[in-house]
Amino acid sequence: MTADTVLEVKNLKTWFYTRRGIVKAVNGVDFTLRRGECLCLVGESGCGKTVTALSILRLFDSPPGRIVEGEVIYKGLDLASCTIQRLRQIRGKDIAMVFQNAQSALNPVFTIGDQIVEQINAHGQVSRADAVAKACRLLEEMKISQPERALKMYPHQMSGGMKQRAMIAMSLSCDPCILIADEPTTAVDVTIRAQIMHILQELKANRDMSIIFITHDLSLVREIGDRAAVFYGGKVVEVDTVEHILESPAHPYTIGLMRCLPDISTDSKRLPSIPGNTPNPIDMPAGCSFHPRCQEVMEVCHSKDPALMNIAGVHAVACHLFSAAGGKN
Amino acid sequence: MRSYIIRRLIYSVIIAWGILTITFILLRVGPTSPVDRYILNIAARGQDVDSVRQAIEARYGLDKPIIEQYLLYMGNLLQGKWGWSFSASQPVLDLIGSHWIYSFQLILLSTIFAILLGVGLGILSAVKQNTKFDYAASIFSFIGISIPGFWLGLMLILVFAVYLGVFKTYYDTGYPIWSVENLRQLTLPVMALGIGELAGYVRYTRSAMLDNLRKEFVTTARAKGLPERTVIGKHVLRNAVLPLVTIIMFDLGSIVFGGAYLTEIVFGIPGLGQVSFNAIFANDYAVVIAVTLIGTFLVLFINLATDLLYTYLDPRIRYD
Repeated sequence: MTADTVLEVKNLKTWFYTRRGIVKAVNGVDFTLRRGECLCLVGESGCGKTVTALSILRLFDSPPGRIVEGEVIYKGLDLASCTIQRLRQIRGKDIAMVFQNAQSALNPVFTIGDQIVEQINAHGQVSRADAVAKACRLLEEMKISQPERALKMYPHQMSGGMKQRAMIAMSLSCDPCILIADEPTTAVDVTIRAQIMHILQELKANRDMSIIFITHDLSLVREIGDRAAVFYGGKVVEVDTVEHILESPAHPYTIGLMRCLPDISTDSKRLPSIPGNTPNPIDMPAGCSFHPRCQEVMEVCHSKDPALMNIAGVHAVACHLFSAAGGKN
Repeated sequence: MRSYIIRRLIYSVIIAWGILTITFILLRVGPTSPVDRYILNIAARGQDVDSVRQAIEARYGLDKPIIEQYLLYMGNLLQGKWGWSFSASQPVLDLIGSHWIYSFQLILLSTIFAILLGVGLGILSAVKQNTKFDYAASIFSFIGISIPGFWLGLMLILVFAVYLGVFKTYYDTGYPIWSVENLRQLTLPVMALGIGELAGYVRYTRSAMLDNLRKEFVTTARAKGLPERTVIGKHVLRNAVLPLVTIIMFDLGSIVFGGAYLTEIVFGIPGLGQVSFNAIFANDYAVVIAVTLIGTFLVLFINLATDLLYTYLDPRIRYD
């Protein structure tokens, strides 16, 4: 753990004990978040990105969910095992979250102002007038016109983009060190998406804040990310700077993923895809969970799960091609 | 909003008029006359029954055609004259005025009892879903819903008044309304009337809470760092309360017209249920109509209040 690390997730496992079996949604995730950076968590649907984000603040449904192993270290405190009272002081204050769908993430029966003020009041003695003034400033920062009016509005009276910006304003109301944005642009159209991305970029530039940005849209990663962690089957398979991930990926899955990006400079008619399906989280393949779909599968991949290993400085990858067992390096 | 309320009030008057008319006709086309019992008393003293009947019916206008009687009655009602009770030998309004409080206290207390306990147990049941507590609450509420209130009343009297002697077997009007003794003797009637409602509220609250407990805004509320108390008691409950209000208000209507009548008779409480029960047997139509009319207005008012409460509870509901 280096000095500029603000959050360290170590071998995190969040399993869901369902009637059909144990869903190993997050199954040994490692990554670190540095001060002031934007780390993107990327991967297909169901690869464990969102559950990882929820696990940081233990916000998944429990039961059936449980953190069975691992640590989430924030300022020396393990969020995965600390008391719920301690965690509650962190939630919304130090680490805030923006959810995918503001429409359903905001409570329909309270005004935006009430919902923001509520969060400010949850983390300190602030007079109502001060809290309202702060809420107003935040809405202004989010480029919401007539913020005083917006404070008195209910979520259903706002447009989709406005709701998402109000949601971001709410998450910033206690000036968090870490902002977790879980696909904040999935539920909005492209013009709104551009607005939201612009706001996030400004936040990154103006505030001393680290961002965990979850997306399956690689073009957004290029726009905002400093580093990216690629998820597959509930694990991180590769971590590197965004440039390297996009330009020279190492893990066969990342390579496949990048190949799927449409390239307008070529005139291929068919978009390539990775053959096979995402693994069933109840019944993960033995060994490396990617091996049934891997182009470069070896003998060892069937039985042994590769660990995430550092290759060169910032770059880490979990693949036998790069380990002693595989022996490419 | 104002035009909506005015429109609703006009509808209410029309509905009340309809109910009034139907009740009047049903009571007056029956084979017995409201003065039958009165005449029997006089006949027992040896007077000629037919001449007495003619005299009395002429005096109260009962010999006129039914349409004329109806118009006469309506005319009087519009002037605030609610008629004469033959069985109680006093004006209907006086009769109601001296008995309504007994019904009111019973309905009020049992409703408070049912809401506080029912909603409370329902919330706990939802939060502790699939635990022993939840199962116990479910069994309790199924039994509570299934038991008829009058039978429960009789059993409560049998156990607590007859066997254990903790309470009296009858309601004593000697105690003033605002007294501890009165509150004490209302315990069994309130339970008999309230437990059925309570049991229903446990189920409805539980399912309404569960519907909302897994909503995304609940995760948001937790992510904001709010204590679980606020998450459940404010964010979830406030959304769950809407279907509950519908059911509670609806139940209130059925208590006024059903449950309270039977409970009053079982426990001998001299409320409006008792009054109209006696009036029906005596064919004392003015009393029956008056009590029905009061009940009708009450239910219509409750419905309007419910609809207006919706707009306050859920800002997405607007009537204009």
